[in-house]
Amino acid sequence: MNENIRRTGPVEWEIPQGFVSGMRVPGRFFLSDVLAESIEDGALTQLGNVACLPGIVKSSFGMPDIHWGYGFPIGGVAAFDETEGVISPGGVGFDINCGVRMITTPLTEEDLTDKQGLIDELYEAVPVGVGAKSPLRLSQKDLTKVMEEGSSYAVELGYGMTSDVEHCEENGCLSGADISAVSDKARKRGIPQCGTLGSGNHFLEIQKAEEIFDEKTAEVFGVSAGQICIMIHCGSRGLGHQVCTDHLKVLEEAADKYGIRLPDRQLACAPLSSKEGEAYFGGMAAAANYAWANRQFITHAVREIMVKRFGISYEEMPLVYDVAHNVAKHETHEVNGAKEMVCVHRKGATRAFGPGCAEVPSVYRAEGQPVIIPGSMGTSSYLLAGTNAAMQQTFGSTCHGAGRVKSRSSAKKMQTGDEVAASLLEQGILVKAPNQAAIAEEAPAVYKPSSEVVKTVAEAGLSRIICRMKPLGVIKG
Amino acid sequence: MPFEELEHTADVKMRITASDFSLLLAESGFALSQVMYGKYKREPSEIAVSIEAEGTTPAELCVNFLSELLFIMETEYLVPSAFSLTADETSITGTVSGIPFERGKHSGGIEVKGISYSGLTLTKTNTEYELIIIFDI
Repeated sequence: MNENIRRTGPVEWEIPQGFVSGMRVPGRFFLSDVLAESIEDGALTQLGNVACLPGIVKSSFGMPDIHWGYGFPIGGVAAFDETEGVISPGGVGFDINCGVRMITTPLTEEDLTDKQGLIDELYEAVPVGVGAKSPLRLSQKDLTKVMEEGSSYAVELGYGMTSDVEHCEENGCLSGADISAVSDKARKRGIPQCGTLGSGNHFLEIQKAEEIFDEKTAEVFGVSAGQICIMIHCGSRGLGHQVCTDHLKVLEEAADKYGIRLPDRQLACAPLSSKEGEAYFGGMAAAANYAWANRQFITHAVREIMVKRFGISYEEMPLVYDVAHNVAKHETHEVNGAKEMVCVHRKGATRAFGPGCAEVPSVYRAEGQPVIIPGSMGTSSYLLAGTNAAMQQTFGSTCHGAGRVKSRSSAKKMQTGDEVAASLLEQGILVKAPNQAAIAEEAPAVYKPSSEVVKTVAEAGLSRIICRMKPLGVIKG
Repeated sequence: MPFEELEHTADVKMRITASDFSLLLAESGFALSQVMYGKYKREPSEIAVSIEAEGTTPAELCVNFLSELLFIMETEYLVPSAFSLTADETSITGTVSGIPFERGKHSGGIEVKGISYSGLTLTKTNTEYELIIIFDI
């Protein structure tokens, strides 16, 4: 660890002001000793860079899955004062509202008598990979409604249940979407891709709830040991990518216009109250809503297959929760002893609101918000619950996943896709992808161990571990 | 090989070289298409699409050109076989031609979400241009 970094607790570390010239607040991050071995200096510099931005409140935060990203580190959280602060696409990422959701089923592993057949059928039903086209035929008017209303519009079209909407962060719709801030190019990319998974680390996974850590909360979340669950990880597809690309250009010029000194060009930003900042927020919110609808359409395609194969009902496959992990939002938090509205950027980080928060669905409110942490193909995923400590320390934020530690090229040198698939099969995990390289590039060994990441947020008090889910079958994009 | 992949933890970092700037842009286009579609055979073109981009610097022009190409490939389902480009250091016009995307032939790659300014360098020597650029995946 860099000698200027100070350890402030068992898993808590501080980057002092001055580490990067112009830091307005310190940086704080959470790492166990095991995870500290793989921390990149570049990611810590990025945490320091974020601390230089105008109006940043309290600290620039890094979660245990931190790694080097675009502008902000992946695993970065920063909140900005609504009057003095800025908004930055680098704090959200290209894949706006990349997120993850989980549904439960009444099935157990014994019911999956033809797991390969199930994987094959899901693979056909959910378009994945480069060049995939959605079976949906959205009109321009539909697309507008998708961007304005998010998951509820998908439900209105018949692709889900009302309870799905209630079990999404922000009820699956971020207010403030501005359709005029979404270019024709973004719309053109968005129409054929709504209802598709994408590629890279996006996945659709069949899992088994293998270990329950908190029976009471698990019961409230509707999860029990041995139950088959399905997890979907994807985002706003080309529409969101284009929104980011379009507004980055504008905000680069805006930073100059408003005299904002940037330690890194990738932190292009504008004051929250400026027309450029408001336009980015509006476009980003529209893309975030598209992402929620996208996951809803995919969920419906999955449920259709499950109904057909197993004779279960849609109602028997409730959505536990859906979380965003690349987004900026206006939220009320305690700052210097008073409640204050701030703009929280979470870039590879997850909202983890604690018990009693009005934003948490009433059925879960006493336990805290469900937080879904995907693992890698061969490692477990986790269901966590938000805490009041997270509210006090990190603007109600926690980690988002395992966090990559090896490049794709070195992954391919380590093992071929066939070797990775064979190794997973030995563990009872089936994997299917458009190409074997995609499997090699996403091998479990290229990620930090998800167990260590969630153990660290639990030790820091940012989340409680509720359930561990073992992968049984994985579809990669 | 006019382009090669360099080590990068999360994204794809490419080094592209060429003897002139227009060729550099064309080769960077092929680098992008290879990341997206895997190694593929450049077949005789069936479709052509106009492409143009501007930038205040040559490096910014590279980012804007590749962003435009990404948009074209994704919306036209175009797999490039050839580029015909005329460029100065702040603008480029021309065509990209190729064949329609076919799942059986072109599924060897990974989606690119955006073209990054991170770590972007463009250098010119007496004999060649070199571009180091990261594709956000």
